[in-house]
Amino acid sequence: MPAFNELNQAAGLIIPEIILIATVCIMFLTGPFLVSENGSSPAGLKHRWGALAVLALLCSAFAWLKAPLTDGSVGPFEVDAFAWYVRGISLGAGFLLTLILWDQTDDAHAAENFACLLATLAGTSFVALANDLIGIFLGLELVSIPTYILLYLGRADWMSREATIKYFLLSIFSSAMVLFGLAWIYGVAGTTNLASIAERTHRAIPGFEHGMLVVAQVIMIAGISFRLTAVPFHFYAPDVFQGVAPSASAMLSFLPKVVGFAALLQILPLCAGADGIAAWTPTKNQAWLFTTLALVTMTFGNIMAIRQTSVLRMLAWSSISHAGYMLVGLAVATEYGGQNPNEASGQAALMFYLPIYGIVSIGAFAVLAAAGTRSRPLRSLEDLHGLSQTRPALALTMAVCVFGLSGLPPTGGFLGKLNLFVAAWVVNSQLSRTLAIALAANAVVAAAYYLRLIGLMYFEAPKTILEPEPRPASALAGGICAVSTLLLFASPQWLWNAAAAAVGLVTA
Amino acid sequence: MSQELLAPLLWLIPAAPLLSAVITALLGPKLLKYRSHIPCWSALAVSFAASLALLVLLPQQNSGAASGLIPPPDLVASPESESDAAATDIPASVSALAAATAADKPEVVVYIGEWLSLEPAPEKAIVDAADTIPEKNRQRAGMRVPLELRVDSIASIMLAMVTGVSLLVALFGSGYMHHDPGYPRFFAAVSMFVFSMCMLVMSNSFVMLFVFWEMVGLCSYLLIGFWFRKPSAAAASKKAFVVNRIGDFGLIMAIFLIWTNFGTVDFAGVLGNPDRIQAIAATNSGVITLICFCLFLGAMGKSAQFPLQVWLPDAMEGPTTVSALIHAATMVTAGVYLVARCTPLFVLAPQAQLLVTGTGAITAAIAALIALTQTDLKRVLAYSTVSQLGFMFMALGCGAADPGLATMAVTAGMFHLFTHAFFKALLFLAAGSVMHAMGDVIDMRRFSGLRRALPITHWTFLVGAAALAGVPLLAGFWSKDEILAVLMAASRTGEHRLFFGSVLVVASLTALLTAFYTFRAYFMTFWGPEKFPEEAGHHPHEATPIMAWPLRILAVAALLIGLAVGPTHLFSNTLARTTGLTPFEAHFHLDVMALSVFIASAGIGMAWMLYVVMPKVPGKMAVVLKPFYVISQGKFYLDEILYVLVVLPLRGIAFLSTLFDRLVIDGLIDSLGTVPRVLGDRIRSLQGGVVTAYAGLMWVGLVVLVVICLGIS
Repeated sequence: MPAFNELNQAAGLIIPEIILIATVCIMFLTGPFLVSENGSSPAGLKHRWGALAVLALLCSAFAWLKAPLTDGSVGPFEVDAFAWYVRGISLGAGFLLTLILWDQTDDAHAAENFACLLATLAGTSFVALANDLIGIFLGLELVSIPTYILLYLGRADWMSREATIKYFLLSIFSSAMVLFGLAWIYGVAGTTNLASIAERTHRAIPGFEHGMLVVAQVIMIAGISFRLTAVPFHFYAPDVFQGVAPSASAMLSFLPKVVGFAALLQILPLCAGADGIAAWTPTKNQAWLFTTLALVTMTFGNIMAIRQTSVLRMLAWSSISHAGYMLVGLAVATEYGGQNPNEASGQAALMFYLPIYGIVSIGAFAVLAAAGTRSRPLRSLEDLHGLSQTRPALALTMAVCVFGLSGLPPTGGFLGKLNLFVAAWVVNSQLSRTLAIALAANAVVAAAYYLRLIGLMYFEAPKTILEPEPRPASALAGGICAVSTLLLFASPQWLWNAAAAAVGLVTA
Repeated sequence: MSQELLAPLLWLIPAAPLLSAVITALLGPKLLKYRSHIPCWSALAVSFAASLALLVLLPQQNSGAASGLIPPPDLVASPESESDAAATDIPASVSALAAATAADKPEVVVYIGEWLSLEPAPEKAIVDAADTIPEKNRQRAGMRVPLELRVDSIASIMLAMVTGVSLLVALFGSGYMHHDPGYPRFFAAVSMFVFSMCMLVMSNSFVMLFVFWEMVGLCSYLLIGFWFRKPSAAAASKKAFVVNRIGDFGLIMAIFLIWTNFGTVDFAGVLGNPDRIQAIAATNSGVITLICFCLFLGAMGKSAQFPLQVWLPDAMEGPTTVSALIHAATMVTAGVYLVARCTPLFVLAPQAQLLVTGTGAITAAIAALIALTQTDLKRVLAYSTVSQLGFMFMALGCGAADPGLATMAVTAGMFHLFTHAFFKALLFLAAGSVMHAMGDVIDMRRFSGLRRALPITHWTFLVGAAALAGVPLLAGFWSKDEILAVLMAASRTGEHRLFFGSVLVVASLTALLTAFYTFRAYFMTFWGPEKFPEEAGHHPHEATPIMAWPLRILAVAALLIGLAVGPTHLFSNTLARTTGLTPFEAHFHLDVMALSVFIASAGIGMAWMLYVVMPKVPGKMAVVLKPFYVISQGKFYLDEILYVLVVLPLRGIAFLSTLFDRLVIDGLIDSLGTVPRVLGDRIRSLQGGVVTAYAGLMWVGLVVLVVICLGIS
């Protein structure tokens, strides 16, 4: 039975995801039975579900570390260094998000909350694993659909509902765009298998770009830009980040970006006729498109962030501007010449920046989650006034994460931005030099509002006295993030090596 | 004496004061309070004992086994340049000096750790730079500056002097600073100063020397501004620091030049290798002279030579004990020590040596002329210090006449440095004792006839003054005599006879003035009718025992130390064992001695006539010689001249820069800062919160992107 064997083989490649999905099934199927008709549930139920989620993540991580890398598979999945790296990011982020969710969710909806989170993690990995356009799209949707539920369950007030509906409507709009774009690519290539698409485009005359392929790419990129929160597909972000619970914002600020960039890195090289991420130099169209998106996104994001009064909206705009920084990595991607794996290249710098951004961004939201209370979540910047006096440890964590976001030493954020800058600078063209300078200038502008946030926490008197509600898991997540960003500044080489391996600069 | 036995001594000398500084700084204000002198005293006593032991044991160090010496790093000299050196004619005596190295030159080096280690420049950069940098200057050497303690003969003498004088000053200071609220701070700073000074003397490379050169500058700044609430003290400390920066610029340039030309900065590599210096001098004759000019600029700052002497008289704003220690006996001699230490370089740069002598002569004369009319006892002593430092430099440059004189010149300069430390510290401490008794009044017009009220202070001051004036058999006599002798020798040989002849005349006249103004101060203070200022109260109190004993000990030293080490050649023989110096045949110069005896007695006699026998005359003379009096009284208006020439133009530039910064740069930045805000306010309207609008905008965005991309392709 060759079909069965093939399926068996394919299932062997996705054991970490199978563990996650299996846990999701258990949670969805048994969760409702533990909650009574009127919605009451045994106290501490959420911690049990949380423990199960952590257990699932640990098993998944174990499988991730043990799984061998395959190369050149023609099946539905391919576990290459890229997939390995994205899986690692997804599991790491999942662990931190679980911690935040631990004391954010209520007992009655805990099962669904954790299940949705685990499903999105599996979806993230699928995008990187997929060896087929359909697989990529399924991965994207496996992230999107549970997200709607996660957002909705987070908080039960009108603001949260409005935000969820907005996200839902615009998200399906963007999914439609992605699917439309993928359909055009299929139309050009005549196949959905990634390796075969590469073959078709490679055979075309070098330098020639099929007009249909250009349109297909633009539509697909536009759809994925929604996930990345790139301007002008970002509009939902501030409204949604403000409306939903901080645990959901933390997830939204990071996982969709991972998914989006993973999908782009899977598909774009093929459209440029390259057979791998390392061999990819963007075509003229791709370069222009990403340069424009990067410039507009980071500038717009930073300018809007300056005047915000809500800390959540500010972080949303900050997240948008970071999408702009990361797009620089795509715009200046260069074919790997085979010399020095430490050499900055756009792809590697982007892959290096992703987890670093994730750590500081999730860390900042974790602090907000830990400092707020159920009755009065932290919303405006005024709520942060004098946090250093009321919650000194949290304020310090926040300060470190904000340092990371603004890209100041001694945090990993500094190295991430530095690598992007260097990658843009060494590509000796006017366009990339302009991008590098814009990146630096934007980092300066951004420092204005990041440092103001620290100033508010440390130099203002507390305005709203909140009865502190112990939220140790969120605080722990924030602490882990702050410590890791500092450690990454001290020893970044291993992460750089992994990022370089992920984009094929070196063999892992 | 083996290296192992000496190493702990070398350690102890700087470590003890450092420990004391740390302890006093940490525990002083809260715990030790008015017992803060205890760590300082014990540390300095330990250092002094170690220095004395070192002084005795070092000559027994078998120089062949001076194996602690770290071999100099690979020298970059190419064989060609060495053969060039051989081809050029170098004066025979220089070669002799060069040949006499290594034999009987005891030195001990203790390696502590790496401090600065720079990799050589990568090969690629060298290739790139090939077009612009001439072949001979290209260096592949990195820079390695280990933390090392090195003691040779000249350093051991300096160490013994520094720690000895410091110990006595610290003893005196505990009485003098009694009940000052900054008591712990004082002793912490003094300990720190002694540590820095010892490290300066013991450093084994120009970079380490520079580091501690700056550290003593810092300590000096802290101590001049000790009473920092007094505006004049704060201004004086700032002035000292800024003026010293000018000199430091020279020293830094010298270090850069040494590094680019020698490829190394340690003393062994630069000074201990005469062949190499000659090779460099042969390929590029100007560079050694330039290095020496720069080194001397550094020395001018620290040792207060014209025109950078302006900071030292103002430095008298610090406590008198500080003046005695730092601004008379030790720190200001660092410049002399630097020039003496770099003799192997200066020998090959006659122009630099002429500059050294000339500057010394000008400084000595001007300072002596200013000292004539000062009425502030401490300022008289300060100008006399400047003048005596001038004497030392006068001697140091005498090698220009004949390189064979170099060792004699260095010996004379260093010997004067050595004796001067004792009698000048004594004079300052005695002045401090006067000040203490007079309720901090130091203006000589407000007191007189103190010899009965302050007997101990009186006779110790008298000994110091006599030593400074050059009264036969006292310390100053022997050393000043050697300076005059070396000047006389220089005026008899070589092509610069006229120059050295005139310097000799200036030196003799300055010596006369020295004797005169010293005894003028002495007679004005201790003779005449007994008069006390009201600040002193009814009953001026003589120095307490803790202040009196250092005075007595220093007085004995001022009396005997010259006799003990001068005519016996103990000093010159010890000093001659320094790398780069050769032993020379020292002999007595009876003609010079006769001259100096005459000069000293004439000066003292004039002072006696004018201020004791006919006390009305000086006032009349001041009226008759009014222009001269005013110039001297106004300190030659050097401060004002420097103010107009240097400070005002700089102020102007600063003002313009401020304007530029305020108006142009700030304006630019401010307007840049408003751009994001204004933009933010404008585009906020897009973010309306309506889902259909968002979807519409996304659609528009997509269309625009498609159009752009199709346009490009």
